[in-house]
Amino acid sequence: MIDPVTARRWTYRALFVALAALLLFLRLLPLSTLPARIPGPDLMLCITFAWVLRRPDFVPALAIVAVFVIEDMLAMRPPGLWALFVLLGSEFLRDRAGAMRGLPFLAEWATVTAVMAIMLLANRLVLALVMVPQTGLGPTLLQLLTTVAAYPLVVAASHLALGLRAPGELDGMRSRA
Amino acid sequence: MARDRNAEIDFAGPVRRILIVVLALALSATFLLWRIDSPRVERFRAALVDKVVPNMDWALLPVTKAVGMVEGFRSYARIYEQNTELKRELQQMKAWKEAAVQLEQQNAKLLAQNQVRLDPQLTSVSGVVLADSGSPFRQSVLLNVGSRDGIVDGWATMDGLGLVGRISGVGKTTSRVILLTDSTSRIPVTVQPSGQKAMLAGDNSSAPPLEFLESPEQVRPGDRVVSSGDGGVFPAGLLVGQVAQGADRRLRVRMAADYERLDFLRVLRSHPAERITDAGVLIPPEVPPALPVAEAPAAPAPEPETGG
Repeated sequence: MIDPVTARRWTYRALFVALAALLLFLRLLPLSTLPARIPGPDLMLCITFAWVLRRPDFVPALAIVAVFVIEDMLAMRPPGLWALFVLLGSEFLRDRAGAMRGLPFLAEWATVTAVMAIMLLANRLVLALVMVPQTGLGPTLLQLLTTVAAYPLVVAASHLALGLRAPGELDGMRSRA
Repeated sequence: MARDRNAEIDFAGPVRRILIVVLALALSATFLLWRIDSPRVERFRAALVDKVVPNMDWALLPVTKAVGMVEGFRSYARIYEQNTELKRELQQMKAWKEAAVQLEQQNAKLLAQNQVRLDPQLTSVSGVVLADSGSPFRQSVLLNVGSRDGIVDGWATMDGLGLVGRISGVGKTTSRVILLTDSTSRIPVTVQPSGQKAMLAGDNSSAPPLEFLESPEQVRPGDRVVSSGDGGVFPAGLLVGQVAQGADRRLRVRMAADYERLDFLRVLRSHPAERITDAGVLIPPEVPPALPVAEAPAAPAPEPETGG
């Protein structure tokens, strides 16, 4: 007999990996090979951070690393580097997940924005240090903007559609009931 | 409850931390390995893509086609405008066709007079686009032909009309085409009719700029851009596009290939131009190879002279 908490946890872990596979699949579709004027948001990063802040136990570090390493490989990025920064960023947020729960959403949004910006700059810095040719700063910043803008939507979607709620929210509801 | 959670974290904490550090080190090591021995890791990447993407083929193609159909259906809405537009274009094309026929005859005549052999070895392999790069900063597509079909790194790829890109990364059944719009793509081109040589430098925009033009004043918007064949990267004379002036006053190239819908691509089987490697030696008198069976004893006498 599997206890329901464990079952739920594994369901969401599987859901995380499935979402990653779906997003990657959609991105690989050769719909338009014209360069995009405004690069789309990095939805996988949004999902990872939103879930880490709400239910850290649903997104184990191993799953994050696996998903982002595969994304690195398929999307022709330098393998490992971006996954490393996502791991560090998500660990940073994971440590603060408990403390963040009491704060308003704006504070969480600002923190996530700051973490994403630092990850992006660190990534560029390392690439510049080892002299890997990289894209201009403009498009990457644009992508950061769209990603940050997509974050509340991802949070709302995982809250409403996937029923992802922080334990604190659940406790609060229960006590109110 | 809060105490429980803390207790759990305290129990699992150190092990977890070690795991995270190990993961981080492994990722850094992967990156460093890629930086140091890029070709090996890229080969691994090509093999991985080769394994993963064709498995998604059954889903990739139908979804792509379905979206294409929806878009095609949407274009029925303006079918009347399209029709009139096409009629107008057809009128213009008839005039052009006349000109083309005349030019072709003239060309054939001149070629016959000069006894020119146009590159006879230029054949092609066709492939279907499986997937694109999946990243907004990389412009590449994946074809469903690979080393099994004899594809070699560096070959030029065209759609029906113009140059699309160059093969970079070959797996067993897939190969990656770096598009001319990718920011790492540089190809030597010639602008006709002025004959100016330039580099077409991809910059992640749909119309890459021309760089290193010697005298830009001789180039005007509308000029044809073809590959120049310099450096042996591509065969010469493949159509790339037309010169256009961008909003930033730079000369850019509007691609002849339909980048919006890359579907079937032709990979040109090009062979490296033969190089003359050794310095000239004295030209020896030709020894007939098969004949002198009977005269073999007599032959050795002149041979040392040919060497000197």
